[in-house]
Amino acid sequence: MKRTANIDLGAMRKAPKSFVFKPLALAVTVGTLIGCSDDSQEAQIFTSADDCISNNPDQVEQCQLAYKEAVDEAVQSGPKYSNIEACVADFGAQNCTSYTSSNNQSFFMPFMTGYMLSSLLNGGFRSAPLYTSYSRYSPAYGKWTSTDGNLYGSTRNRNVRVGNKAFNPKPAVKRTMSRGGFGSTISAKSSFSGKSSRSSWGG
Amino acid sequence: MFRSIITQRPHWRESASEYGFSFHTMHGEAYWDESAYYQFSLKQIERDIENPTQELHQMCLEVVAKVVEDQELLEKFQIPSNHWDYIRNSWHCGEPSLYSRMDLVYGGSGHAKLYENNADTPTSLYETGFWQWLWLQDQVNAGKLNRQADQYNSLQEKLVNRFAQLKLQHPGETLYFSCCKDTDEDRGTVQYLEDCAQAAGVNCKFIYVEDIGLSADNCFTDLDNLAITWMFKLYPWEFMLREEFADNLAQSNVSWIEPPWKSVLSNKALLPMLWKMFPNHPNLLPTFFEDELKNSQLQNYVKKPIFAREGANISIHLAGKEVYSSPGPYGDEGYIYQAYSPLPAFGDNFTLIGSWLVNDQPAGISVREDKNKITQDLSRYMPHIIL
Repeated sequence: MKRTANIDLGAMRKAPKSFVFKPLALAVTVGTLIGCSDDSQEAQIFTSADDCISNNPDQVEQCQLAYKEAVDEAVQSGPKYSNIEACVADFGAQNCTSYTSSNNQSFFMPFMTGYMLSSLLNGGFRSAPLYTSYSRYSPAYGKWTSTDGNLYGSTRNRNVRVGNKAFNPKPAVKRTMSRGGFGSTISAKSSFSGKSSRSSWGG
Repeated sequence: MFRSIITQRPHWRESASEYGFSFHTMHGEAYWDESAYYQFSLKQIERDIENPTQELHQMCLEVVAKVVEDQELLEKFQIPSNHWDYIRNSWHCGEPSLYSRMDLVYGGSGHAKLYENNADTPTSLYETGFWQWLWLQDQVNAGKLNRQADQYNSLQEKLVNRFAQLKLQHPGETLYFSCCKDTDEDRGTVQYLEDCAQAAGVNCKFIYVEDIGLSADNCFTDLDNLAITWMFKLYPWEFMLREEFADNLAQSNVSWIEPPWKSVLSNKALLPMLWKMFPNHPNLLPTFFEDELKNSQLQNYVKKPIFAREGANISIHLAGKEVYSSPGPYGDEGYIYQAYSPLPAFGDNFTLIGSWLVNDQPAGISVREDKNKITQDLSRYMPHIIL
């Protein structure tokens, strides 16, 4: 046979799309509490630097540094909303704050309510910010959730096994200086044909 | 190879809207035309199209390897000198390609001849990989075509497999898909590729070419100000290399599909280079650069701009006289001269074969018909079968 053996026609259908509210922050809610896979590791969850210090009195500096890293990561890649209502819908009332970025954009973010720390025992550590939602309509209600919307179980949990990826920096929000630096040739060439709609720029 | 009339599927327009095929009619004219189909024998497909396509592709890669090392040739290919290193590096790093389409002159007998290679931004992909596939299935199920009828078209399968391979080189990365605003056809093509990538488990996101941003630290950004690291663009390299963001390409660290070295392949200067490196190859037409025309003894030839799309700015010269020309905005970068080899006529239609590759694997054909000798963007797409 010289042709594609099978095509999933269901996947190829483009039914008219109905509007679905997709919260920015919680778009991905795949549980990634890892069982026993090789790259998983123990992580502890703390609600503050002091919480960390009281549990690890000999690790004051690491607790503080890890907290600061989590806060920085939260600013860089945490959930961001253009209006407070959307933030409250996902994270609940009194759980959102306004924030102005270095390029003067202002938006709303949930408070970081905890941070996750990989085992302090082996010297180094990795940390990641965590949030929780007080809105009972949110999938993250009463649960820990990360910047990319992964859920880490009930907020009562303080010890979790997570994949290494949980600590990977999330894609950083950049400061965009300009747009429109690609695509200018077509406007120059398209005036030629005089057609009402532009045809392909492919070949 | 022959052309047969066939009853159209009664509800194909409804079906088209169900599957999101929105550009079957363009500028008030039919683009998808299922009032007829082309029939090939398996031998014609394999011996005359599939095998030569594979061989031609390898020859083209040899041209790239030579051109990227040669300043004089890079100049002939009209590649801006400030991007030579960028393109050379992309070739040396073996940056992976996704797909291309070779246009062949073939009428059922003799050697197929390469017209040109659309290796950077080929379109008519959805129509080929999916829509004509569905047509065959529907017509067989309706009893209008023999159950044994096959089609030379493993495009979708190969695209999905290719995306699955590429994904391994980009763990956890989002693949951005991009085309220009205001073209249904390009948007449809890109959506199809996105569907194929998604089927391979790739995380996808769309952004228009015009909306791509540049950050202070030299990253290209999406509309959420996230860095773009991996991108498919249905937008030609020859344009990108001359636009405002061109100087940021090398530092932006984006893996592009198609990769920058494709700017050598999708360039019509490829054709005289092929003839120089593989003279008298049965699947090539004698083709020359401007400065070689005098000594070439070409009497009947087609003059094509080094950069052009959709059959624009092409003229036919017979016995030294221009007998036909198509208008267009291209030609500033010079021309190449290809021996005249008219498209085969089926009735009053001129027929052009598009032979697809996914990476370096031949993957199927598209058949386009035009009332005109030069296939332009208003030509009609016809389905085909193998029997």
